[in-house]
Amino acid sequence: MVTSSIALLEANSVLLQSGIIEGLQNLLQPDTFIVQTINGIRFGFILFLIAAGLTVILGILDVLNLAHGELYALGAYVAASVGGFLVGEGTAAIMAPPSSFDPVTSFAFVGVLILAALISALILVPIGVVMETVFIRPIYERDQVYQLVLTFALLLIIANMIEFIWGSNPQKLDLSTKTAVNDIPTFELLGLSGVPSIVTLIMVVSLVVGVGLFYFFSKTKTGRIIRATAIDREMATALGVSPDRTFTLVFALGAFLAGFGGAMELVRTAANPGMGESALVLSFVVIVVGGLGSLRGAVVGALVIGVLQNWMTVVEPSLESAAPFAVMVIVLLVKPEGLFGTWGERT
Amino acid sequence: MTPGISREDGQLKIRIMKGMELTVRETLGLVAGLVILFNLPTITTLAGDLPIRQRPIYRGIVFGLAAVGLNLLLRHSELVSFGHAAFFGTGAYTVAVLVSDYQVKSATVLLVAAIVAATLMAALIGYFTLPHTGLYFALITLAFGQLLFSIVKGQRALGGTDGISVRTGEAGVTILEQFPTLFGIQLTGQEVPNTILLWFTLVVVIISMLVMYRIVKSPFGRALDAIGQERTRARFLGLPVKRYVWAAFIISGIYGGIGGGLFALYFRSVAPGETLQVFVSGDILYMAILGGFGTLTGPLIGGIVLETLANIANEVVFTGPAGETQMGRFITGAVLLLIVFVFPKGIVGSLKPGGRVFEGAKTLKNDPTVAGPWFRQFGQVTVEAAKRSVKNVRYLLFGVK
Repeated sequence: MVTSSIALLEANSVLLQSGIIEGLQNLLQPDTFIVQTINGIRFGFILFLIAAGLTVILGILDVLNLAHGELYALGAYVAASVGGFLVGEGTAAIMAPPSSFDPVTSFAFVGVLILAALISALILVPIGVVMETVFIRPIYERDQVYQLVLTFALLLIIANMIEFIWGSNPQKLDLSTKTAVNDIPTFELLGLSGVPSIVTLIMVVSLVVGVGLFYFFSKTKTGRIIRATAIDREMATALGVSPDRTFTLVFALGAFLAGFGGAMELVRTAANPGMGESALVLSFVVIVVGGLGSLRGAVVGALVIGVLQNWMTVVEPSLESAAPFAVMVIVLLVKPEGLFGTWGERT
Repeated sequence: MTPGISREDGQLKIRIMKGMELTVRETLGLVAGLVILFNLPTITTLAGDLPIRQRPIYRGIVFGLAAVGLNLLLRHSELVSFGHAAFFGTGAYTVAVLVSDYQVKSATVLLVAAIVAATLMAALIGYFTLPHTGLYFALITLAFGQLLFSIVKGQRALGGTDGISVRTGEAGVTILEQFPTLFGIQLTGQEVPNTILLWFTLVVVIISMLVMYRIVKSPFGRALDAIGQERTRARFLGLPVKRYVWAAFIISGIYGGIGGGLFALYFRSVAPGETLQVFVSGDILYMAILGGFGTLTGPLIGGIVLETLANIANEVVFTGPAGETQMGRFITGAVLLLIVFVFPKGIVGSLKPGGRVFEGAKTLKNDPTVAGPWFRQFGQVTVEAAKRSVKNVRYLLFGVK
């Protein structure tokens, strides 16, 4: 019996190897490769939105916010409700999804969708402020283990509240919304049929937000104040920066980014109970790969993880969720401080 | 030094073994706890409809054992591991795989195998994670735990998300005869074998606790304390910091492995969501905090309380906009908030002299009128926090002026 199971294991591993080679051949088909890569970049952008908030909060507040993934999930759920209000036939609706492609109405409709995402993300700002001022602020001076307990408690509470309000069934927008966006030709103009326009929309909007974030941190006064606080909190305080307000602002910004990421992702897929947890863990990997507190590292880490995971869905689906962690182990071995150093000195 | 009674600084102390002296209060608590745990089957029968069940308490004991291991790192070397489910899961899966694929049936052999596997796993993960400290350490241990979780989840040989059941699958014997045996007794999950397994588990737990007590009181334990307080200074004093922390990490992993192995024997099925997931790591950490991570028995008590609480809380059902919802996580979260803000020393820590409950009860006994100001103070703090958040929202939205 023992020998037979060893033989079985060997057979299994041979099978796995041939499966990987076959999968690689599948991935290297030009069409599949481009489609998977674009999808990976889309996922990478969303991951960046989540990880950026997490990494900035970690860099400045020195708090590892375990509830960050739930903020992302909350953003998606809120967007499902807000989107349900603004889009469709209801009394509060701004416009219904156009049934066929027409430049003016189609783009106006996309505008309404982005507006809905913005409103959803803004709803998360006061939630973030309350989390920081009421719960997290009293424990800055205490043992680090308490902030982990505290943010985990908040995670449990938010996750349960989401289930309480929206139930355990996935929430999504009407199918007509998706079709209306997909009717707009984007990658089809380049002769590529496998990428729906919704992916383009998510990529473009996330890119704009990402660029705006870099602009905010490098060019605006508030952004520079935040960076200065990250580099030297005491010096910044001596120069008249209120650390309390900076901390609240940073946390609210993180909540906004996570919520916006969730809202954008909702246009493509459904909000479901487990989405916060997986996003949280993946953004940890992004942070470790990119370097603790580094915004530039978060971009690179998110794109690497996003693209790699999408490639693995073709190469070997059973390793799909393990691949990001394998990358993380390799980075830890080769460059333990992450690909990019600490943040603050540069954006 | 034989067991006996001694008097130190005017306080009566009871010596249990060499170097282990307890106060009368501690001894009484210990005896009461053991009597309750050993008579658990009788108590659950007597409790009838009361929410005292053996399964959640057993879960609490085995997860609490993992938390006792975690506590060695947490309390003494000040490292917060967020991936302790990895060792628990390693222990549980080792038992399950040995039973189902290799037809090993002796529970003691299985437990030893679980310890060996957990040791190796802890040595490996510790090697990668220990160069880091603080939040980075928490983050990386979490990611390693999740790596193990996603690998196991993707393996069809390990049953994927459904997991594997702990039985041999031999042909020609009934299902009940396929389960592991403990000293020749078939662990079928029925009442009598379960009671014997519970007693066996309690003996294992007692031995583990005594070993942990010796470790903590040994020069090695003191050295870990020094390392936790100030790493650089400990290194200058000539302590082999890296080697000691690694050893502590492996020891704490072994406790997780024993817990996991016992889990697999009792529940007779092992799934990744129950043993390896990130929430399991979180639970193990919170058991340590809830019970009081400054104490030895705290994590174990925290484990039993947290599991019982979760079991009761899940029966609380609110009807919301989306229909009926179990509020278990909400209640657990609220209790953790209470621990963080009101009882940071945990259950056992608060009951000890110097702890909040102990001192509070003493004050209240001397002067019962203090209860009024306490409530008023509580109200004031709550109102202040609410005001502060409203003010901050206003600042953020409309600026300072």
